[in-house]
Amino acid sequence: MDIEQSKQPAPPGNFVTADAPGYDSLLQCMRCGFCLPSCPTFQLTGRERSSPRGRVAMARAIAEKKLDLTAAMKEEAFFCLDCRACTSACPSGVQAGSIMEHCRSQVARQDGVSLSPARQLRAFVLEKMLPSPGLMKNSLVVARLYQRLGLQWLVRRTGVLSLGPQWLGKAEQMLPWLEKPLSDGLAELTPARGEKRGRVGFFLGCVMNLMFAEVSSQTVRVLAHQGFDVVTPGKQKCCGAPHLSEGDPITARKLAVANIELFMAQDVDYIITDCAGCGAALKDYKKMLEGYYDEATLHAFSAKIRDVSEFLAEQGLRSADLIPQPVSVTYHDPCHLAHAQQITAAPRILIKAIPGVELREMNESDWCCGSAATFGLKYVDASHKILKRKLANIAATNADLLITANPGCQLQLAWGLKKADMQQQLLHIMQLLGQATPV
Amino acid sequence: MCRGNGLVGEISVGGGMTKGLLEKLQRLFGRENVYYEQEDMLVYGYDSTPGIQGYPEVVVFPTRHELVQQAVMIAAEEQMPVIPRGSGTGLSGGCVAVNGGMVLGLSRLNAIREIDEENLTVTCDAGVVTLDLYNAVAARGLFYPPDPGSQKISTIGGNIAENAGGLRGLKYGVTRDYVMGLQGVLSDGQNFATGGKAVKDVAGYSLRDLLVGSEGTLGIITSATLQLIPPPQDKRTMLAYFRDVGSAAEAVSEIIAAKVIPATLEIMDNTTINCVEDFSAIGLPRDMAALLLIEVDGHPAVVEEEAEAVMAILRKLRASETHQAKDVVQAEQLTAARRTALSALARVSPTTVLEDATVPRSRLANTFAEIERLKQQYSLAVGTFGHAGDGNLHPTCLADEGDCEQMSRVHAFFDDLYNMVLDIGGTVSGEHGIGLAKQDYLRRQIGDGGIKVMRQIKDSFDPVGRLNPGKIFVE
Ligand SMILES: Cc1cc2nc3c(=O)[nH]c(=O)nc-3n(C[C@H](O)[C@H](O)[C@H](O)COP(=O)(O)OP(=O)(O)OC[C@H]3O[C@@H](n4cnc5c(N)ncnc54)[C@H](O)[C@@H]3O)c2cc1C
Ligand code: SF4
Ligand code: SF4
Repeated sequence: MDIEQSKQPAPPGNFVTADAPGYDSLLQCMRCGFCLPSCPTFQLTGRERSSPRGRVAMARAIAEKKLDLTAAMKEEAFFCLDCRACTSACPSGVQAGSIMEHCRSQVARQDGVSLSPARQLRAFVLEKMLPSPGLMKNSLVVARLYQRLGLQWLVRRTGVLSLGPQWLGKAEQMLPWLEKPLSDGLAELTPARGEKRGRVGFFLGCVMNLMFAEVSSQTVRVLAHQGFDVVTPGKQKCCGAPHLSEGDPITARKLAVANIELFMAQDVDYIITDCAGCGAALKDYKKMLEGYYDEATLHAFSAKIRDVSEFLAEQGLRSADLIPQPVSVTYHDPCHLAHAQQITAAPRILIKAIPGVELREMNESDWCCGSAATFGLKYVDASHKILKRKLANIAATNADLLITANPGCQLQLAWGLKKADMQQQLLHIMQLLGQATPV
Repeated sequence: MCRGNGLVGEISVGGGMTKGLLEKLQRLFGRENVYYEQEDMLVYGYDSTPGIQGYPEVVVFPTRHELVQQAVMIAAEEQMPVIPRGSGTGLSGGCVAVNGGMVLGLSRLNAIREIDEENLTVTCDAGVVTLDLYNAVAARGLFYPPDPGSQKISTIGGNIAENAGGLRGLKYGVTRDYVMGLQGVLSDGQNFATGGKAVKDVAGYSLRDLLVGSEGTLGIITSATLQLIPPPQDKRTMLAYFRDVGSAAEAVSEIIAAKVIPATLEIMDNTTINCVEDFSAIGLPRDMAALLLIEVDGHPAVVEEEAEAVMAILRKLRASETHQAKDVVQAEQLTAARRTALSALARVSPTTVLEDATVPRSRLANTFAEIERLKQQYSLAVGTFGHAGDGNLHPTCLADEGDCEQMSRVHAFFDDLYNMVLDIGGTVSGEHGIGLAKQDYLRRQIGDGGIKVMRQIKDSFDPVGRLNPGKIFVE
């Protein structure tokens, strides 16, 4: 089937174009409300329409032609953090987050492509820059902005760019360091150390590559030290998650196919990523390309994907020669790990396996940090409250270090810690493990 | 959607709101506590009952008791119905606006006012979430037993208005058994207070008991004083698997007959087991016909004894396997999984129509047999679970409301089942209430005389029919 085509015959009801939410997925919600206590936006507003149950009900009303794609519906689709906490909470298997993703795509299409600078930038980032990392490196300002805003936000809320140059200036000041992209310096093959246990491919996410090169170089070091040959193909592309989230499934499908072909041509047992967002997207290729691509290959590809924590916990961490780290740490569960991939035990197993480390659990560790909403001026207040709740939980543990496992969270939390004058140092779990890994 | 399918269906939109009224409400309650847009009316027009959708004209969230009173008075002036709402997890359509009107959301009235350790009571606002209340009193070493499956979401006000039961109902009773005092607002805006911290109270009719289970039709509850008890010192959680449902049901009757009263005695049939396992992945036995989840609690010595007695009965009835939870965490996992049963069943089909039949406990096995027979007769997929120890079963048809022919079979299934339940001295609703969904059945159960008295009670509380009109009685 042609990738440019949607596999859906006709959008249900008042949905405007292809790639609308499937009607069955909407009927799946029995309105029990089990998701209400876990949804950050509902906890914030107490308003039913900002809850998973309410959002799905509105989408269903659109599909049943009882509601148009109204302004309020659009607002709720964009207010949804896509944190997937509702998916973890829902006994009926409803995917409210993903339904909202589809709704956002409807909005993008209904509104059409306008020629405002914001739209052009969005198109540029999504269609040109992300698919080819080379271009991205060369347009640093846009790249930095795009990155700093967390994958979804700049493009999703392009409205903020129309606020003019002052705002851009302010945002610029908030940008942190920018390291030299890792992909330039990373060998295609990093050989295993000690007794070899296998050969893995490394998927280098866009944000990890550009913003957190240090983290990914630790990931590669750790994997090698744990006995794995690490293959990092240079030609890899963006995982496609931002495109999907922004309502551009066609580009997302193209990127997915490119990545599948690239990695399936390597001789690797597993494909590892240290970006929870990418991991969730890669595991989802099976669904995204269902009907578009050879099913057996899709399954084989998905079966190889592992988040790095998941992988190391599964293989068993070789901890005999790790350097003791006499620190107390607390762990924040990224939504894309805990809720999108149901991985919560593995990172904790790794943390506890490092000699000397004391893990202090925070309250509500799997609550969204608000990263998705950080800079949307419209929701600045909402994002703030979500972040504040998170910071209070972190502070209460009095731990020396805050550990997480996703670039979006890392950006948001770093910003929050700094703003709140908190002393905790923030590390990706691979940085912690990297510190404990002997040279 | 198909008419006459046993579901209530779409309810017409009431009249419009005037601008003046809206501004008045916004001034009084604050803009953030008044909703009137069509999207809000849509999402405040349902609860967890399948196939029911109403549309209120406005939704108001009072944040203080006095504002509840004001809201009711404004509604009276405007001659608008008032529909109280907690969290909208009801299973009989109780908080759905039948004919426009004002939905009065109580969930922002949610302070826990006092935990009185001398009198063992807690006084809280109606909008406090059940589990939050449980946790708050547990932190002070006290215990509030009623725990509906929806405890994470449901409000105390909603629990009282539906007289909710829960997983601990067998030993500890239902919400009514813990309500000592109620405060609130009557249909004309007058305040009421009934009961209090005194353990005994026979001063006149028990208005408190009339309000418990009144489904928002007699008064608006704004706060409640609830009884607490000391928590059990110890507990033991057990699982028993059966190859046929009949034996599981017999085990329940035998345990009761052996004068052991577990705190929890829940049943799940094969369909339910599989759906719950799909969600929770805790290793439930997918091939078993039924399982019982049993929890005994109390003094450690008694727990020991009762657990042994239960085990002996299970062995006698040849349960295929019996297990004990190895620690608190695992026990908690099991009860949490059971709480998801209804929602988990919804994985299978678009519409899950659940009922609430409750029978004398010695008749559980017959009831299961009848469910099985009717399921065959009407060729329907049915998952059954419930508070077996209370004789309270939730046979749940896994259906599709778009399929009218199938929905008429669902309706026939419940019709026949309720006839049988009433014949053996059961009730059409153990805990979910009548609301919109069961009005026909109520008359069958209590007859014209019963309806007449109930209506007179309603009229004396609410002569103009302001509060939650269209509920309980067929209009
Ligand atoms: C998954 C699931 C599991 C459930 N398990 C159980 C169970 O085990 N046992 C059980 O008994 N029920 C159960 N229920 C049903 C439901 O949760 C209960 O009926 C609960 O008490 C409803 O509370 P609520 O706050 O959601 O009330 P709502 O649904 O908002 O309202 C219910 C009724 O109470 C009225 N009301 C609400 N607040 C007030 C108030 N302050 N003053 C006056 N009237 C008011 C409303 O008008 C309406 O008639 C379950 C529901 C679900 C979805
Ligand atoms: S999304 Fe799931 S948890 Fe939330 S109301 Fe619907 S069925 Fe229940
Ligand atoms: S994805 Fe997150 S924000 Fe969106 S509805 Fe689900 S829980 Fe709420």
